Amino acid sequence: MTAPADPIAAVPVAPRRAVWALLRSPSGAVGLAIVLVLVVVALLAPVIAPYDPFRMASGPRLAPPSWDHWMGTDQLGRDVFSRIVHGARLTLMIGTIAVGISLTAGLLLGLVAGYAGGWPERVLMRLVDVLFSFTEIVIALACLAILGVGLINAMIAIGIASIPFYARITHSVVLVEKNKPYFEAAVAAGASHLRLIFLHLLPNVIPTLIVVGTLGVSTAVLAAAGLSFLGLGAQPPQPEWGFMLSSSRDLISRAPWMMIFPGLAIAITVLGFNLLGDGVREVLDPRQRAR
Amino acid sequence: MLRFIAQRLVAALITIWIATIAVTLLIHLVPGDPVRIMYSGFQTTEAEIEAIRQRLGLDQPIWRQYLMYLGRVLQGDLGHSIVGNQPVLDTLLQRFPATLALTVSALVIAVVVGGSLGFFAAYRRGTAWDFGAMTLAIVGVSMPHFWLGLLLLFLFSMTLGWLPVGGSGWRNLILPALTLGLATGAVIARLTRSAMIDIFDQDFVRTAHAKGLPKTLVLYRHALRSGLVPVVSMLGLQFAYLMGGAIVIENVFAWNGVGRLAIQAVFARDYPLIQGFILFFATVVALVSVIIDVTYALLDPRIRYGK
Amino acid sequence: MSALLQVRDLSVSFGRGAARVSAVDGLSYDLHAGETLAIVGESGSGKSVSSMALLGLLPPRAAHIDSGQTLFDGQDLLRMNDRQMRSVRGNRIAMIFQEPMTSLTPVLRIGQQLTEALVEHRSLSQRAARAKALEMLRLVDLSDPPRRMRQFPHELSGGMRQRVMIAMAMALEPDILIADEPTTALDVTVQAEILNLMRDVQACFGMAILLITHDMGVVAEMADRVVVMHRGKKVEEGPVRAIFDSPKAAYTASLLAAVPRLGARSAEDGPRPIIAQPAEPGEVVLHAEGMSKVFPGRGGIFGRSSGTVAMEEVGFRVRAGETLALVGESGSGKSTSGRAVLRLLEVDAGRIELEGDDMRTLSARSLRKARRAMQMVFQDPFAALNPRISIGRLIAEPMVIHGIARGSELEDRVAALLRRVGLEPEHMKRFAHEFSGGQRQRICIARALSVGPKLIVADEPTSALDVSVQAQVLELMLELQQSMGLAYLFISHDMAVVEEMAHRVAVMRQGRIVEMGPRRDVLNAPRHPYTAALLAAVPKPDPSAPRQKLPRLDLKDLPMGRLAQAAHDHWVAR
Repeated sequence: MTAPADPIAAVPVAPRRAVWALLRSPSGAVGLAIVLVLVVVALLAPVIAPYDPFRMASGPRLAPPSWDHWMGTDQLGRDVFSRIVHGARLTLMIGTIAVGISLTAGLLLGLVAGYAGGWPERVLMRLVDVLFSFTEIVIALACLAILGVGLINAMIAIGIASIPFYARITHSVVLVEKNKPYFEAAVAAGASHLRLIFLHLLPNVIPTLIVVGTLGVSTAVLAAAGLSFLGLGAQPPQPEWGFMLSSSRDLISRAPWMMIFPGLAIAITVLGFNLLGDGVREVLDPRQRAR
Repeated sequence: MLRFIAQRLVAALITIWIATIAVTLLIHLVPGDPVRIMYSGFQTTEAEIEAIRQRLGLDQPIWRQYLMYLGRVLQGDLGHSIVGNQPVLDTLLQRFPATLALTVSALVIAVVVGGSLGFFAAYRRGTAWDFGAMTLAIVGVSMPHFWLGLLLLFLFSMTLGWLPVGGSGWRNLILPALTLGLATGAVIARLTRSAMIDIFDQDFVRTAHAKGLPKTLVLYRHALRSGLVPVVSMLGLQFAYLMGGAIVIENVFAWNGVGRLAIQAVFARDYPLIQGFILFFATVVALVSVIIDVTYALLDPRIRYGK
Repeated sequence: MSALLQVRDLSVSFGRGAARVSAVDGLSYDLHAGETLAIVGESGSGKSVSSMALLGLLPPRAAHIDSGQTLFDGQDLLRMNDRQMRSVRGNRIAMIFQEPMTSLTPVLRIGQQLTEALVEHRSLSQRAARAKALEMLRLVDLSDPPRRMRQFPHELSGGMRQRVMIAMAMALEPDILIADEPTTALDVTVQAEILNLMRDVQACFGMAILLITHDMGVVAEMADRVVVMHRGKKVEEGPVRAIFDSPKAAYTASLLAAVPRLGARSAEDGPRPIIAQPAEPGEVVLHAEGMSKVFPGRGGIFGRSSGTVAMEEVGFRVRAGETLALVGESGSGKSTSGRAVLRLLEVDAGRIELEGDDMRTLSARSLRKARRAMQMVFQDPFAALNPRISIGRLIAEPMVIHGIARGSELEDRVAALLRRVGLEPEHMKRFAHEFSGGQRQRICIARALSVGPKLIVADEPTSALDVSVQAQVLELMLELQQSMGLAYLFISHDMAVVEEMAHRVAVMRQGRIVEMGPRRDVLNAPRHPYTAALLAAVPKPDPSAPRQKLPRLDLKDLPMGRLAQAAHDHWVAR
């Protein structure tokens, strides 16, 4: 988690101009390009992949990269490139669903705690802080100990594990916004709780969460790959990148391509979302642009 | 200052206390019968299952179980592991030095590499140096550390043959520490850069320049010393992430620390060991963050002499 | 007499290409030895930028010096290398800044910050530097200098920190002291002390002062000559008397006309009538009594710090069509009182009646309804408008909440309100950041008016605005009050503004009202020593008035007890 919890400066940016500004920032443009390529690859996986990712003996076992097998084959003779292309689907699914879970729950928690104030806030945020200090991986391990191993469970575990992070960020933004005069002005106008939360606070929290959520996809992808690497996530024969890496471990010296390409795929995906997140932050937060 | 330390210690105790609750709840959230799940690999009769249930206190009401667990924890008894039937605390303590050696050396690498890279980038803000340093950092942040570990293993151990592949000597520590240190260093570089940029924009740095002090003096005496406060304050969290990262890295390099033990425990559904590990982890992280909080309080006179 | 510093044709811009903004455009002036030259202008006039450029303190990549020459001692400051510049900075030309709270390094002791420049420029030994630093602290009138040397900046108040800054700047006996808004962040009594100190120091060392300020009162008190800047250009230059008495540029004249002058309405009872038949003060709208509030100190199980008393036994009445001004310095509890009246914070004790209803006993639901009758206008119009909601919807919001209008009627009402405060109905679709500060404050006022309130609490409504804009907003507020019979609770630190706006005045200090009564009585013949000190400290925008030393206020013996009646409707703390 590298996203600083600074709330984003409050100047709305028109959507059209935002996209344009995103394309003009180097990190935003590169990030967007990587993410778009990933999405296209995931959607068109069966068309792009030259082989069936599950079919054994698509070629010889442990064949080095060649014209027939761009990224070589694994110990069962499966085409590594095809498996990576199909793996993009799993990776994007895990990333977005896990972030969806943690973002929704964290947003709700942080919003309620920040708005309510008083002892509910203190108790809730104390708890969140404690869970946060346990780190995502330990919470995820605890969840997996409860749920049992598997890709779906790993995804849920990562989603739950990151809730404290999103709750903290939402809470800190809410605190800042709640103390701005515009919020007090709305209170003074007689606005109801729902109006205050959803009309005044939420729109000012969302931009920060868009940035954090984008960066969060990369964290989730990394975490899921890590769990699969440990054997706690994806199970054979799923073409999950982290799992592919772990099966390459004992064959590193004989078939380094089995290790290099899945790792590269994870790194590029994570880099793409990180860059996109940084780019979106630059667009939404003019203070960052001056840097 | 004393009050500050006392407050941090109380906060740490609360963390550990919440961990005990979480750990007790853990076993109750398991769908199905935890005893059967734990012993699914063993040949057991119904009577044996009941006996185990009684021994673990799982037939008691939950609040009773919690009090029993808390009582045992306070006496330093974390129960016995299912696999091997060893005292959990002894097992953890026996493995912990290896993890501590890994995380502390990684932290040193991370702070030295990441801190200087971030400081340098902030100082050269907006130049090609800054861009280069930050590109390096974001690539480092994006790289899965277990992959970085495998790459280093492939390069230094297998191709060049400089370092051993597995084992427990200090030469075996180099690669895992480097892997974890560089991965965390990338994060610290980004955090340091943004903290230092904030400092460079402060009025007091301008004052120091306006006094006609040499650049290096402004940099080290005024900017760096002030910048250390926010940088050190985030190390507590980074240490927690290092401990988390160590779980994975220990498995990559077959380094026999508590992390490796934890993964084996999750596979074996060894609940007493999992519970013990989580509690242990929370305790270590909480105590280290107290140390780090006190360090940064020492650096910041506003807290040191605070009212 | 040849000039000490000659600035010629200085131009500075920010950004490049299409984003390029000119900040200073062809500025020229001379600064002579021993004189005080004030560079005066509103925000965005380039006054600060031009002085930062002299010492090369502009942000290196953002700002560009496009042209110009600044001759100091035969050398051009703009073309010096790092080493040459360093030997000038602090040594020959020293600078003090606007924000004393952030201008000292928080992690270093005052002593080190004072001595390091001496060691650097004069190669003094630590011992000699320390002796010199102690001497300087004594000179700037700080008590117990050896203790100050050991302290950290956070242990000193804003005024004390500014004294340290002056001591630091003067320790090397520079030829020029650049003071960039040196008193803007300070309370008025502290400002008076610092201005005094600057005059004393100048008499002692004979350096030239380049004073950058927006405050015409400070100019009149301090300057020998004045350069008036507007949008990066110099519009006028001359001796201070000539500038005030017979300004040549129309801009200078309008700027001077907009400056509120304390004493201008001393012969009148009420504010200036804007409309032909202004509404007279009527029924009591707001009656507050015995309001107290203590903000609890932070801290957990290990005992709380004792907490801050924000308000103690505060009470007042405001009539329809009448303005009660709450004046005081920072921390006096005036804003707390305003917010307490609106129940934006809960008081610990007291009674707040709005048109006879006890606000403190209302349920959450009836409180929301009651809020129709009382509205607020905030200090910072940049933060008081939700940035992500259009102006039209913001102004309509209170009417929607209270079910006053909907559909096209709502839109018509918003349009009418915009027109009422001097804006165009077409502005409805825009967002807050597209407006200037003055326009935003008009929008805030329109929003407050939308539900037809009886009472408006205005918390420093013009202190974030330039004087010319301030004058317009104040006039709008007067006009609205006189035509609609609004009651204002007007919170301000500016005595001259208060004189212009108020019917009655309550002076606050440390959470208590120390004097309250008709404006004319309180300001013309203050009965509490603190009120008198506040009034004496206000810099007068009149260079012909004698520049006198202030009497020291003995804070220990200040009567801070209960209010007692001193004359008809005039109450003074005992």
